[in-house]
Amino acid sequence: MLALPAAVFACLLFLVPVMILLSEAFRMDGSWSLQGYVDFFAKPLNRTVFLRTLKLGVLVAGTAAIIGYAAAFCIVNLPARTRGGVFGLVVLPLMISPVARTYAWIVILGRTGIVNNAIVGLGLSDTPVRLLFTETAVFLGLLQLFLPLMIISLVSAMENIPRDAIPAARVLGASWVQVFFRIILPLTKEGLVVGGTLVFTGALTAYITPAILGGSKVLMLETLLYQRVNVANDFVSASVIAMILIVMSFSANLVLKRLASART
Amino acid sequence: MKTVAFAALLGCGLASAAHAEKTLTISVYAFAQDEYKQALYDPFEEICDCTLVVETGNSVERMAKIEANAAQPVIDMAVLSTQDALSLADKGLIAPLDPADLSSYDKLYPAAQDPIGNHMAVGYTFYASSIVYRTDLVDIDSWGDLLGQDVAGRVALPNITGTQGPLTLMMLDKAAGGTGTDLSDTISTIGEHADDVVTFYSRSSELVQLMNQQEVIAAPVGRFAWSRFKDSHLPLAWADLAEGQAGGMNVMVMTKDNGHEDLALQFMDYWLSTEVQTRIAQAMIDSPANKEVTVSDAVAENLTYGADVINALNIMPARSVIDNREAWVEQWNTQVIR
Repeated sequence: MLALPAAVFACLLFLVPVMILLSEAFRMDGSWSLQGYVDFFAKPLNRTVFLRTLKLGVLVAGTAAIIGYAAAFCIVNLPARTRGGVFGLVVLPLMISPVARTYAWIVILGRTGIVNNAIVGLGLSDTPVRLLFTETAVFLGLLQLFLPLMIISLVSAMENIPRDAIPAARVLGASWVQVFFRIILPLTKEGLVVGGTLVFTGALTAYITPAILGGSKVLMLETLLYQRVNVANDFVSASVIAMILIVMSFSANLVLKRLASART
Repeated sequence: MKTVAFAALLGCGLASAAHAEKTLTISVYAFAQDEYKQALYDPFEEICDCTLVVETGNSVERMAKIEANAAQPVIDMAVLSTQDALSLADKGLIAPLDPADLSSYDKLYPAAQDPIGNHMAVGYTFYASSIVYRTDLVDIDSWGDLLGQDVAGRVALPNITGTQGPLTLMMLDKAAGGTGTDLSDTISTIGEHADDVVTFYSRSSELVQLMNQQEVIAAPVGRFAWSRFKDSHLPLAWADLAEGQAGGMNVMVMTKDNGHEDLALQFMDYWLSTEVQTRIAQAMIDSPANKEVTVSDAVAENLTYGADVINALNIMPARSVIDNREAWVEQWNTQVIR
């Protein structure tokens, strides 16, 4: 009964505007065309930005998965009394504005920040190393921004692993590597797909963090999109970039689902 | 009873219709709107007995709106950079201004009277641009010092897509012995030094934190932003450069066939008057284009103020920016941003 109004609401306020916007990506001089995509990928800067965005998205999602599994495993094995508190600490950053969290990295990674103080203090370099406005800075900022989403997804998946499965495998002589690949990973693949998609998509579409920590020296697709709209008033290129981001996000979800199903 | 109610209703309708006739829609930068309301908008509404509708946004958004509504203008008057005003003039979207309609016209500095030609715009504020630098760490005497070894790895430059970008390129070209018109060699030189540049910033507000964190020790800055730097705990100075200061101007334009031409001209004239330009200068919102404005030394310190300063500014011709911007951005993206 309520499905129809919800569908109409979603169509009118979400689907139709998105389709209108994205149709711009297939129009050139009033007719349907793929020329916008040809023009976009013909420019070396755009290709560099596309590959950089893909690379950082994969790196952030991959690293978040590694750290996420370790963190989730520790959290689900904590006593029930402390588990809630630690889980709350994981969720806490999500309640803080991404702008504030990103600006904190400027202080941490600056010439006089704690990282550079440690590098110089330990004698690893005579002078502070430039960390801001580099791919490393953007990677760290994005990882810190989206890691909680991966941990939350994996914790809820790991809570469904039968409590005796891992001790039983260990008793039967399985190494920790075998336990991970033959028990934990297969039983948490749904959580990994959800977490991986959220983190990868978030890293692709984040604007504030790449803009502040990367600036124009580390352009990503989202910051390039902003430039095309707000500097050049070029809605065709902006629509092309939006379409590429959507395709990348859906592709990531499909690839992760395929990988997950291939293991069973 | 019904007749009385109908008459009252009709009266209200006529009154609101009359009031609606006296509405002026202006399109301005989003910056300092509370101060502008106090210094300009509210006093003007009292004088004109009209309603001022203020629309704000960045230049691209505001220009797009003017262009999209060219047949039936929804904006009557706008303030823009000289190059954006010239771009609208080229598209036939703005109307010429008759100096006879502006009583303050003769009080303006000559550069502000007809900045883009054919009386299509009139300047209302100037801004100088120089280099802000750390006096305890480096000496900056020339625009060319921005690419020197003393500041390598600790200098920030404006992105070419912003207002400060082309101005900095022009001055770097002049420092290298050029005329400041062909910027391709300068862009190539910056490309060779790209790794020495901390970042290519879009807004001077980004620089305040970078300088306070000692990440950046020298960068080109507009005079309108100087007040944010001069109160820093660090020894920062406004450089006195061999090639002089770069400069720019913002202008007022009136859209074509908007139907509110008289009111728009009245508003522009009021804004350019000595009274309002003084009020705006004293509030340190914008530097005056009216040469009769006088302010204290303390206020002048924060402005682009006085005939000596304004007449010596290196102002880039708007036509040069329009004709070359696309090629500059393309070369910049290929050689500098990479």
